Amino acid sequence: MDLAALAACIANPGCVVTQATSGFIVGMLLFLVAAGLTLIFGVLKVINFAHGAFYMLGAYFAFALYQSSGSFALALIGGAAGSGVAALACERLLISRVYGGSVLMQLLVCYALVLILDDVVRMVWGNDFLSMGMPAQFQVPPLFVAGGVVPPFYLFLIAVALAIAVALGLALARTRLGKVVRAAAHNPQMVSALGINTGLIYGLVFALGGALAGMAGALAAPVRSLTPGMGFSILIDSFIVTVIGGMGSVAGALVGALLIGFIRAFGSVGFPLFTDGIMYMVMVAVLVTRPTGLFGRNAG
Amino acid sequence: MVRRAALADVLGGAAAFAVLAAVPLLIGGKAAPDFVIRCAAYGLFATSLNLLVGYGGMISFGHGMFFGLGAYAFGLLMQRTALSIPAAFALTILIAAAVATVIGAICVRLKEIYFAFVTLAFQMLIHSLIISWVGLTGGDQGLRGGIPRPVFLGVDLANRIQLYLACGAALVIGLVLMHRIVASQFGYTLRMTRDNAERAGYLGVDVVRVRLIAFVLAAVFACVGGVVMSLFVSGAYPDFADWTVSGDGMFINMLGGINVFLGPMLGTVILLLLNDTVTRLTEHDGIVLGVVILFFAIGLRKGLLDFVLDRIAERRATAVASPERG
Amino acid sequence: MATTSRSAIGRRAALAALGAGATALAAPRIVRAQDKVVRIGMPTILSGRVAQLGNSSRNAVLMEVERINAAGGLAGRRIEMVIRDSKGQPQEAARIARELINTEGCDLLLDGEASSGGFAVNEVARDLGVLCVHTNSETSSLTADPKLRLPNAFRVCRQGVHDSIVGGSYAAGVAKAKGLKRWATCAPDYAYGRDTTAQYVEYLKHFMPDVEIITQAWPKLFQPDYTENITKLLQAKPQALYTCLWAGDLTAFVDQASIYALLSQMELFAVNMADYTTLTAVKHLPPGIHSGNRYIKTFPKTPQNAAWADAYRARYKEYPTTWSWQNSAAMHFFEAAAKRANSVDGKKLAEVLPGLTVEVPFGTDGTITMRGEDHTIINYAIGWGTTIPTEPYVPDMHPGDWKQIVELEAEWKKANHYT
Repeated sequence: MDLAALAACIANPGCVVTQATSGFIVGMLLFLVAAGLTLIFGVLKVINFAHGAFYMLGAYFAFALYQSSGSFALALIGGAAGSGVAALACERLLISRVYGGSVLMQLLVCYALVLILDDVVRMVWGNDFLSMGMPAQFQVPPLFVAGGVVPPFYLFLIAVALAIAVALGLALARTRLGKVVRAAAHNPQMVSALGINTGLIYGLVFALGGALAGMAGALAAPVRSLTPGMGFSILIDSFIVTVIGGMGSVAGALVGALLIGFIRAFGSVGFPLFTDGIMYMVMVAVLVTRPTGLFGRNAG
Repeated sequence: MVRRAALADVLGGAAAFAVLAAVPLLIGGKAAPDFVIRCAAYGLFATSLNLLVGYGGMISFGHGMFFGLGAYAFGLLMQRTALSIPAAFALTILIAAAVATVIGAICVRLKEIYFAFVTLAFQMLIHSLIISWVGLTGGDQGLRGGIPRPVFLGVDLANRIQLYLACGAALVIGLVLMHRIVASQFGYTLRMTRDNAERAGYLGVDVVRVRLIAFVLAAVFACVGGVVMSLFVSGAYPDFADWTVSGDGMFINMLGGINVFLGPMLGTVILLLLNDTVTRLTEHDGIVLGVVILFFAIGLRKGLLDFVLDRIAERRATAVASPERG
Repeated sequence: MATTSRSAIGRRAALAALGAGATALAAPRIVRAQDKVVRIGMPTILSGRVAQLGNSSRNAVLMEVERINAAGGLAGRRIEMVIRDSKGQPQEAARIARELINTEGCDLLLDGEASSGGFAVNEVARDLGVLCVHTNSETSSLTADPKLRLPNAFRVCRQGVHDSIVGGSYAAGVAKAKGLKRWATCAPDYAYGRDTTAQYVEYLKHFMPDVEIITQAWPKLFQPDYTENITKLLQAKPQALYTCLWAGDLTAFVDQASIYALLSQMELFAVNMADYTTLTAVKHLPPGIHSGNRYIKTFPKTPQNAAWADAYRARYKEYPTTWSWQNSAAMHFFEAAAKRANSVDGKKLAEVLPGLTVEVPFGTDGTITMRGEDHTIINYAIGWGTTIPTEPYVPDMHPGDWKQIVELEAEWKKANHYT
């Protein structure tokens, strides 16, 4: 433990800027994954244990598109869209068959999906880790803000993720589809009684969740190495985020993700060997005081 | 009644042990005993998980932590202290029970999905503790140098046949005890909390307490499975506490069936046979196992023993309804 | 393009190995009755995170088996490999090793497991008394610690303590020349990361006592994102940074550090950089990274070494890894020992292996020796150099001094009460 270092960092604006950017990057990528997870749970009442696999697919799709086209924009869109389509296929073909079934069955179907998708990636792209490389437009020196270091690529990354967060929030609050989705989360019987096709809504939400995870994977692809099974660690972090924020709450996912990002960023200065421990302690504290999470509804 | 059922269990257990003891004599070669020892380790683990999943309706995705805990606690006690094997074994069980009480006290209050999550999170925490606490656990390299097995009461676990018999005995005794728990008054109360926790609460059942006891008991038997595994490989490794162990446990229960006491045991045998043949044939065992899971989860919608018993029940029902076809 | 052809080869090799296994499985007794075959069992990691390394081990072994069999086999017997996937799980490694001996009728074990799996297989070798050659476990204690060492187990593999001595000596040289006194470290938080970093720092200070470690970052093993560690290192403003991150984690770290321009602010010493898998995976390999050699075909700069790497590349459409040379060397040790003992009996091989020297392309002087006292190899090529963005990637390796390595290793053993 190194509290002196932490105090010194907080006293130094440069350090605060640098570590805060770092917290935003980790947090916003985590938010994209966790938002999908929490939406899917809110509407479908399914814990998508396979959610990390869509993050992985997004990264690999982006890698393949970037290799063939050289366009990072195309890679981002393709990564998100490809994962969305894959998620839709998984939902329609497999997961939809265990709706309303026991949680055990749902977990197992997702577990099977993780095993299969990891192996498929291994067959297509090989066992080896891959590195996509930084797109040319971002190969520029970092900016210096108040003595802190901020790489332009990360500014772009945070901006994209923030834009998605705002768009998602607005879409849920303002559009007709968003209202239906929120209604379906509250009371699926009522929605289907109104003549709305719940199967369609479920498929769309699952695809959207997959696309968000895929977008996170595609955004991370230039700086994180790609391996089959890369989705698992981000899945665990997203679980923690959704538990802290409250299952089903997108706002909760945002707060939870940023909280985790900042714990990581400042924890690595103050408690380099215990950042994980702090994450778990925060989660346990939230669960004990508010079992449904900070923003969770009491329905649980 | 109860006493007669207990007697039947004990006799059945004795018969099962006699069969196990005869295996090395009947089947030459050294492979069968190794297979049975692994079945004992995973069978105890999976059956204990079913105490939670099948009988308690508590879907734990972190049960593997107690498997790992058992292996590490026992291995460390044997390596670092002068305790005899039975003393170390007893102490290991106490440690597992104590840890399970603390973790359980936090987890059992939570509703099913949160319970699954938080148990998984605790498992990840224990796993990362094992990896990080290098001084105690040896980190990712595990407990090295073998687990010493001093002779106790004339039993020498360094001898492969004696180890085999000891593990077989642990399995049989563990299964008999768990069956007694399931058949006891406590077992009925546990099922009542599974089926309708609110009603059980009205009837004066302390639901949290019942669940906590089940959680601790399951942890103890899982930990015995871990001890058996540590004796088999003569060490303990972080993989024993990894989430994949919990995943395997779920899968085993799914394969065998959760509504029949011996379902997980059957599932263990199937999974190990499957694993041993599939890894021999392909490096893409993930796809094969995934498809098998999907077959059970979406195709049969239940484990093998559950499926068979349901079919038999169905056939009886149709036979009663239309005797001419029977 | 490269990936598809590579996996096709991999699959073919797998099928070949499988075919060999299957035929042998179908008729083990007939095969044994002919008594013209020696079966070597090999548990290794063929799926999961480090499958590529296990695969490269198998590739190297199959290449050597072909060569040895064409030259008449081991003491007149044809080698048959039985290679099995442990998925990197120690309990599977132990099970498979037992099965290979007890049911597959293997005579010898070639243990292609890494760290924890290697220790598990070592216990099986202790239990069954079978000859076992470890090829991928770098943890020094496996052979240094007398409690772990076995009369029937040998290691043909680089060793952590050797790497640290050479790394420390090289780093001190650079540090003296450039005046690098403020150092930082960044290592994955697990046994390998902790031990290697501690040893490296120990030897760095041994050769240059006024070095100061100002900060240490400990990311988790396989952590996907190192940003918070990188920014923390930037804040501390060290002059040099040591890291023992490896493979995909190292490339991610380098990629992420690059966008913070970390490498322009400090010298980077990355022990595991100079391995082709890593070098070729980094899209924009920065020049001037100091790295230890894992495997580089230009070190040692001999025609034999280049020829071996080219033959491997021609056959498998990729470069060999550090695991490849170790497994190749292990097969050379089997070959030389069988020749000297004129037998494939494990006990007889174990008698002639200590002190045995074999000619291989991977030795500093064209040979590697199995040290008698602790059953581990010395005199293999080990050195440090700096990277350039294209082949040959690390043009000038500074070789380590084996006399110095052995002396300091002896002191290290004494300090750890291994002798």
